[in-house]
Amino acid sequence: MALVDPISEARAAKRTALDELAGKRLLANFGISVPKSVIVQDADAAAAACGNLKPPLVLKVVSPDILHKSDAGGVKVGLENAADVGEAVRAMMGRPAIENARIDGFLLEEMAPAGVELVVGGLRDPQFGPLVMVGLGGVFVEMLADVAFRICPITRLDAEEMLDELKGAALLRGARGRTAVSREAIVDALLKVGGERGLLMTHAEDIAEADINPLIVSEQGAVAVDARFVLTR
Amino acid sequence: MTQNVIERFKPLFEPKTVAVVGASTKGGTLPNVFIRRIREFGYSGAIYPIHPSAESIDGLKAYRSLGDTPEPVDYAYIAIAAAQVPPLLAEARGRVRFAQVISSGFGEVDEGRELQQALAAAARAGGMRLIGPNCLGIYTPRGRVTFTETAPEESGPVGIISQSGGLGTDIIRRGLTRGLKFSGLITVGNCADISANDLLEFYLADAQTRVVGLYIETAGDGRRLFEILRSARAAKPVVILKGGRTRQGRAAAVSHTGSLAGDDRAWVALSKQTGCVMADTLDGFIDALLAFQALAPQPRRPTRRVVLFGNGGGASVLATDQFARLGLDVESFDKQTVDELAGLKLPPGTSITNPVDAPVGTLQQEDGRVAEKILAAIYGSGRPDALVMHLNLSAFAGRAKTEVLDNLVQAALRVQARYPGQAHFVLVLRSDGEPALEERKRAFRARAAALGIPVYDEIANAGAALAALAFHERFVHSRV
Repeated sequence: MALVDPISEARAAKRTALDELAGKRLLANFGISVPKSVIVQDADAAAAACGNLKPPLVLKVVSPDILHKSDAGGVKVGLENAADVGEAVRAMMGRPAIENARIDGFLLEEMAPAGVELVVGGLRDPQFGPLVMVGLGGVFVEMLADVAFRICPITRLDAEEMLDELKGAALLRGARGRTAVSREAIVDALLKVGGERGLLMTHAEDIAEADINPLIVSEQGAVAVDARFVLTR
Repeated sequence: MTQNVIERFKPLFEPKTVAVVGASTKGGTLPNVFIRRIREFGYSGAIYPIHPSAESIDGLKAYRSLGDTPEPVDYAYIAIAAAQVPPLLAEARGRVRFAQVISSGFGEVDEGRELQQALAAAARAGGMRLIGPNCLGIYTPRGRVTFTETAPEESGPVGIISQSGGLGTDIIRRGLTRGLKFSGLITVGNCADISANDLLEFYLADAQTRVVGLYIETAGDGRRLFEILRSARAAKPVVILKGGRTRQGRAAAVSHTGSLAGDDRAWVALSKQTGCVMADTLDGFIDALLAFQALAPQPRRPTRRVVLFGNGGGASVLATDQFARLGLDVESFDKQTVDELAGLKLPPGTSITNPVDAPVGTLQQEDGRVAEKILAAIYGSGRPDALVMHLNLSAFAGRAKTEVLDNLVQAALRVQARYPGQAHFVLVLRSDGEPALEERKRAFRARAAALGIPVYDEIANAGAALAALAFHERFVHSRV
């Protein structure tokens, strides 16, 4: 990953938000795990890139015009080989919502190991400055509303207490015969986002809202599978 | 830094000279009333009325402007039409330390925003610090200055900052009835210059202040509030009553003080990260302050196990449920304590486990001194973190001698003294609103408060106050 600041790039390009790729580069700059990926422009390049990645793979469209990739048919999961990948790119390019959009490319990436889906978020409060959030549920986070907020910067103890505060905290401990997920990895990710020298404090003036959703946490660690950053005006 | 902030605010809390702007030769204005009040409160420094033409006001020689007084002014109380205030301040020639502008018509209304900016600029030009505008005054027992008609003479450990003047008056008056003793109360209004944060820094450094209470509607610089509280590491308990925490409350707050209120989730986070206690109501605020004034926090053993002792079976069952919701345990006693209580052969109907329901017939044995034996057994083997003694005065009416109540409290204090630092002792005096009974309760509460005992109207209030104390103790236990 290049260490060029994706926020400066987006500002220079007069964008109001970071796309998924830029968002993940920003996360990687702060040491947060993101799936191994490549960006490709067409089906042949995609098929050729497969050799360097470990299947199963996921393909996602990258476009400043498409906010909700799944709704537009811009996400395809469970791709096992070059033929699958080539076919998926061709099919995606034919989708009406994608055909007519500006396309920056296609993101081909390794799928994260299965685990518990969390959300780690950020928000710039007009009075208190950056706040960091953790919640359970991935895509269901708004329905469950099982979240905890803290004012940045947080300490390790703050991060631990945020997790204890979640009503579904038992899910992380491996309820009903499931294996416990790595609590250490979640705390680590929270500190990298909301800690003293974390992402939100470093870019306090620039980030209006941040969503790492989902952060998939397994026994082995935590991986940021999707990320969105909205910049301040 | 600590010494700086103390020195900086000393002229406000102990003014040697006070200027009053807006008093009339005919009397009757708010500034005239202020002059009378501080004289009655024992203020002995110079008072300089400022008036464009009068020779004297209320028997005091008047001066033309803030820059004309014989000595520099430590504190100026200003209540004149809003538009006249900026020119007045600009004439001070660096001879005023603190000016408090009572007048409204500034930033709290749309058309007053520019005037508030002019006011702040005039204060800078005049070389002073500004409190307000749109506030009521200060109450500082150490400096013998008060804006209220009734003010406790004695100073104490509770330092208050209130963004609302009216609520500030409520806090002083209710506090007086409840036995709260203040190190000061400053109404800050629109905070055009001096903010609640500035005064919070003073109280945190002030040796007289042991607990700080803030009523705020807008955080102003919330980040600085967070940083001040975080670096204070809960060395002194801080209780915050925040107006405008809900969406509806925020709408009201905008029209009231003139800027947007923060979001509730940030306040919840603030409390969890800094150990400050968030109160939801004025009563809850005063109840918590009273607990912090009277009880020394025990961070090494945060309050959890509570013993309820008093008359009223149903009331103590309900209280047990409420305490559980607050994270306080009213656990049954173990066998040893039960056996010891059984050995006292108390009358039938007395429960010998926690909650200890002791009807009046039991409590009036030995004119109340029986409580000493009961509590000695409980403290000896039951090891409570807190004891709530609740007395339903209605049930005593016409049955027990007056001294029974005093004897019950004295018995508890004797047991307390034998186990120093073991349990927080709080008293609940329940009544039914009947005038004679209320009067008896009032007198009894005053006697208990004079002994330093925090007294509550209902067990639920005592529970919430103990939960606030426990929250502070747990925070210090986990962080410091």
